[in-house]
Amino acid sequence: MIRLQKEDFEVGEFIEEAKSRRTGAIVTFIGIVRDDGIEGMELEAYHDVAEQELAVIRDEAMREFPLHSVDIIHRTGPLRVGDNIVLIVVSAGHRKEAFLGCEYVIDRLKQTVPIWKKEYRKDGEHWVEGEEKPGPTA
Amino acid sequence: MKVRIKAFARFREIIGSENTLELDDGTSVLSALESLSEGSKDFRDACFDKEGAVASHVVLMINGKRISGRDREAGVLHDGDELAVFPPVAGG
Repeated sequence: MIRLQKEDFEVGEFIEEAKSRRTGAIVTFIGIVRDDGIEGMELEAYHDVAEQELAVIRDEAMREFPLHSVDIIHRTGPLRVGDNIVLIVVSAGHRKEAFLGCEYVIDRLKQTVPIWKKEYRKDGEHWVEGEEKPGPTA
Repeated sequence: MKVRIKAFARFREIIGSENTLELDDGTSVLSALESLSEGSKDFRDACFDKEGAVASHVVLMINGKRISGRDREAGVLHDGDELAVFPPVAGG
């Protein structure tokens, strides 16, 4: 499943759903709002395009590694410290490809999926600097 | 022709999430961005570098596809296109 949603997700449900008789390993990644002095954050997305790009990343990971399934759930809207931001569930026959597939998905997500974070601090608010380097015009 | 401009993050805070521009057929991405910045110095400062080129950190999409290289300025817009303008992404 690929989805952007405001609501939290139930990690256990996605893990159970990813299991089949061929499954030997499931690796999950959960991104969480860290307490580094912020009071909260707001996540904004280019909704339809973000879901399309998440699907592209899932398909890339499935081509690159022998995976059985990839689920990516990303939240939007206001979040507080300790809240879940993103869930990635990767199932495979063996642990190595499950780990590699999961790392691939989160690394690509941070590079290309149009989602932004605004942090709220006591001294004001600011947008988190992204990792994407679009490059010069020429 | 009509072109929809979608803006996100700090670009949205400057010009709003969606604007519809009435432009001549064959208008370039650069001209569309210049039209938007006519009404907003803040948008001009955020979108263009000192030489008046589209700043390298600005990400542009037409109809959900990133545009790169020369197309970031010379790309031609068509009726009904959606041009998106935003800063580097920061999800996850």
